[in-house]
Amino acid sequence: MTARLQIEAVDVGYGHVGVLERVSLDIPAGAIVALVGSNGAGKSTLLRAVSGLLKPSRGRILLDGADIAGWRPDRIVDAGVLHVAEGRRLFRQQSVGDNLELGLYGSRLDRAGQTARYRLVFELFPILAERRQSRAGVLSGGQQQMLAIGQALMRDPRVLMLDEPSLGLAPIIVDQVLDVIVRLRAAGTTIVLVEQMVERALEIADYAYVLQNGRVAGHGPAAELATSDLVRNAYIGAGHG
Amino acid sequence: MSESRSRSGPAPVRRLNPRWLVLAGAVLLVLAFPTLAHGDYRLYLGTQVAIYLLVAMGLNLLSGYAGQPSLCHGALLAVGAYVTAIAMTDHGWSFWPAAAAGMALTAAAGALIALPAFRVSAWYFALITLAFADVVGGMLVEWGGLTHSFAGVVGIPMPELSGHALSPAELFWLVAALDIACFLMIANLIRGRFGRGFAALRDNEAAARASGISMIGLKMFAFVVSAAITGLAGAFYAVQKTVITPDDFTPDTSIFFLVVVVLGGSGRLWGPLIGTLAFFVVPELLTSLQSWRLLIYGVVLLALMLFAPHGLEGAFRAGWRRLVRSGGTTRPAAVTEAVRPTLDDDDQAAGMAVSIAGLVKRFGGVTALDHVTLRIEAGSVHAIVGPNGSGKTTLLNMICGFFRPDEGAIRLDQTDIVGRATARIARLGVGRTFQTPKLLADLSATANVMLGAYAAERASTVEVALWAPRAAREHALLAAKARYFLGFVGLGDRVGEPAGELPHSQQRLAEIARALMGRPRLLLLDEPAAGLSLSEIDRLGALIRSIAGLGVTVVIVEHHLDLVADICRHVTVLDRGRVLAEGTPDSVFRDPAVVSAYMGVRPVAEAQVPA
Amino acid sequence: MDLDIIPSGLAAGSLYALVAVGFNILYRPTNVFNFAQGDLVMLGAMISASAIAAGLPWLAALLAAAALVGVIGLAENFLAVAPIVRRSSASHAWIISTLAYSLIIDNLVGHVWGPDPIRVDPPWPFSVTSFMIGGVRTSSYQLALIALTGLMILGIEQFYRTRAGRAVRAVAEDRDAALLRGIDPDRLSRWSFFLGAGFAAMTGLLASPTMYASTQLGPSLLVKGFEAAAVGGIGNNRGALVAGWILGLAEALGGSVLSPGYQAASTFALLLAILLIQPRGLFGQPEARSV
Repeated sequence: MTARLQIEAVDVGYGHVGVLERVSLDIPAGAIVALVGSNGAGKSTLLRAVSGLLKPSRGRILLDGADIAGWRPDRIVDAGVLHVAEGRRLFRQQSVGDNLELGLYGSRLDRAGQTARYRLVFELFPILAERRQSRAGVLSGGQQQMLAIGQALMRDPRVLMLDEPSLGLAPIIVDQVLDVIVRLRAAGTTIVLVEQMVERALEIADYAYVLQNGRVAGHGPAAELATSDLVRNAYIGAGHG
Repeated sequence: MSESRSRSGPAPVRRLNPRWLVLAGAVLLVLAFPTLAHGDYRLYLGTQVAIYLLVAMGLNLLSGYAGQPSLCHGALLAVGAYVTAIAMTDHGWSFWPAAAAGMALTAAAGALIALPAFRVSAWYFALITLAFADVVGGMLVEWGGLTHSFAGVVGIPMPELSGHALSPAELFWLVAALDIACFLMIANLIRGRFGRGFAALRDNEAAARASGISMIGLKMFAFVVSAAITGLAGAFYAVQKTVITPDDFTPDTSIFFLVVVVLGGSGRLWGPLIGTLAFFVVPELLTSLQSWRLLIYGVVLLALMLFAPHGLEGAFRAGWRRLVRSGGTTRPAAVTEAVRPTLDDDDQAAGMAVSIAGLVKRFGGVTALDHVTLRIEAGSVHAIVGPNGSGKTTLLNMICGFFRPDEGAIRLDQTDIVGRATARIARLGVGRTFQTPKLLADLSATANVMLGAYAAERASTVEVALWAPRAAREHALLAAKARYFLGFVGLGDRVGEPAGELPHSQQRLAEIARALMGRPRLLLLDEPAAGLSLSEIDRLGALIRSIAGLGVTVVIVEHHLDLVADICRHVTVLDRGRVLAEGTPDSVFRDPAVVSAYMGVRPVAEAQVPA
Repeated sequence: MDLDIIPSGLAAGSLYALVAVGFNILYRPTNVFNFAQGDLVMLGAMISASAIAAGLPWLAALLAAAALVGVIGLAENFLAVAPIVRRSSASHAWIISTLAYSLIIDNLVGHVWGPDPIRVDPPWPFSVTSFMIGGVRTSSYQLALIALTGLMILGIEQFYRTRAGRAVRAVAEDRDAALLRGIDPDRLSRWSFFLGAGFAAMTGLLASPTMYASTQLGPSLLVKGFEAAAVGGIGNNRGALVAGWILGLAEALGGSVLSPGYQAASTFALLLAILLIQPRGLFGQPEARSV
């Protein structure tokens, strides 16, 4: 299953502090779209608006043409948009198996369908099968990230939004995680990737948007952006390196 | 900073402080009341109002200001009343020592129930007080040998003064005088550092600890003072009623006081007075609807929580503000300053050196810091940079004592600080700001900045309570300093504004001013430039440079590398909890390993590193 | 020492544990500690006692009381909790608002039923008539109450292993993360208020044969239930059971060794001592780190 996500001229803020201003993105079905920009550019805020944690004060968010802006988060999950938040937000007191089980909350899959989801997640992340009984809080950082992604995959997302999946992980683990993202695209999942490791993100992405100070500063095919100064400046500022 | 350079401006026009007018009015009213009351019953009622007002003020100090809701002030009142009554009737004490004993024992009871409150949250405390009230109620009956059980203590005599018993009018005057004294004392405490400390205790413990406030001491203070005031009220309660029985102190009594405080406006200076009067202005309510009293309390409380969380006082003020605003007049924020401090030689601080060795911190299975060793020279501006999640903020949190390391050592100059409480580390001269500014939204910018000097204030509690010259001087000087530092960080025109109404970028600057108030020798800045515009970042850079000019060691965690390169001579790069590189900004930012960590390039050899 | 205090202490302790479980049911997804819980227990006792007096069978009375009190709990969430938590989730304003709700229930129940306690007989085949077993005086209802409480708490713990139960724990741990997994915390809160209040009603009925149904039941069970929940660790139902029993025994011991007037004082002293040593209770979980 796949879906196209369009964000049209969206404004989002916390209280009366505006963070995003007239942000528009078009994320084609079945593509990996990277969202890059420095800290505080508004990337996480944008994902939170799409997943319903924040309500845009203006603009539309279209999922295959249906405006989901302002829906409750559970309804957006039902519609197939899953958000893996920054910082491995798991239920640390509960076991790996329980966390995956929670990923099925509200799912209408029958028993066979649920078993298939487990099989898929364990195939992508075999370590989770091994550590099924462990408490999520004692996993290593990489394993926690895998569990967070696995939890989202239990609902068979049409659009999967990943916020900084490489955060604090060793390079070899990052490779594994990015690999999985590529395999998910092959299976037709639309992917929005917010990533600090820009060059790694641009390697696997089809298209990318650069956010700066709450606005879209530029966009284009990932391969083109990788060589442009735009991205570099957005990160470490002009004049270094 | 000193007063020596204060310029002699134009002589201020002497105007009568409206506070004195209010006080004079109150005194006149109190003096005239027994004559105006026309009859014993109203005088009796007036005395009762005055006694209840004492309890309400004590409760407001604890529940409103310090944020610890108590459901046992009725029981504390009972302790004060019974001790006084028993000492007077059964042991023949005169009123004054008996009342003092009542106050002391009530204060001791307050300290007892305060003990667990240091480590549990506010609602837990509320239930503990409820359980305590239950116990007191039981003991009043159980200790019949002392309390005469249900019969109660009877024949409690009037207080005597130089041989003659006080008349009802004199008793009223005495209690009313205590009300005024107590009101002034609380007003002074709240105006002084305790008000700021309580607000921090209630709304933002992290900010309080980082400002060097000992939470335990402050909480204990609130409990003991609140209980002592209530115990004093209990002494007068006993002599006024002449008979006290356990039925006078049911759980409803405690709830009544809570209703009074919430009704008037909890955490508001005039709240207890407004609340108490509101209850007695409609005395009919208390008699003909006696059996529906609890229902009325409940509905009133619920309605207040839903529609007027700041009580009548808050509603009145909000309405007044709306009226004034619609009229288009705003109060000028600028204040003519009698004291105008400037930077002096004695403001030069001896910067503190930081040495960290083999520091390890794990959260569950995640190692946030992995054997970090690092030295920060005294007086330097040192940046800690690295990708998200590399452990930068964790490192700051360890230096200021929010987290305890699993392994390793942290020394500030020669002092090993591992295991020390945050407030103690702050008092060594460590100031910090937070990634998300932690200001007290309701307090003015000036008051927020003054909080930073909390641990440095010298006026004693008694001096603050009496607003003695030293306390007043210190207050004026600190307020002037706070305004000075607000000007120093570029917020000179926002001094009177509630901190919550400042835009995000200005809140960051106000936090820096607050940290500077504590005369830090080491200043930790956690992403001060996040969310700032380019021109604001430029000004921030200049500000940090002038702070460093005072000799303060500055450690800055920052993502804006332009800013880092601009102001720092030393940079440490963290990556996944380890030190990846160290050196000058130029060398570090050219280091291929750093570029690859930041940009997520594949192994260095493959990477194209633009020059 | 009088060994009779063991069954009577355990039976009273079981009731405290049940009140504590009612608190926990509400606390887990909402982080609100319901000050009206004691009055919901009392209301359940009054409704079911009247229903039984009117000739309804025990079970029917239980279900009717649970449903009615459940709706009153739901109304509490609607009136006194949801609007206040929505305004500021961090404030403790719900202490006052749930207390206010409890005053309203308390006063209304007093007017409807009056001050006289109502006697409720235990359901067939149990009785409060005491007999001796191994030198200890007890009754079949006491023993049944102790056993039933243990079973019910195990059953509730089973519920928390279901997907819905795990969702409740997830909301307690990280509300935003739960939202992102499609869990609606508001819906869980409503269910918790309904079920927690219904559970309180059942506790009230179970308490009636030994304590009588009366308006006095509310405040005393509020305090005792809190003590059990705090000593056992807030949110921990098995902890509440153990703590309830410990408190019940301590109370009975204090009452028998000193004098009945010392019952409240002995549990309070125990509470203070335990909170000073273990602020999160005997079986409490450490608070998750906040970074």
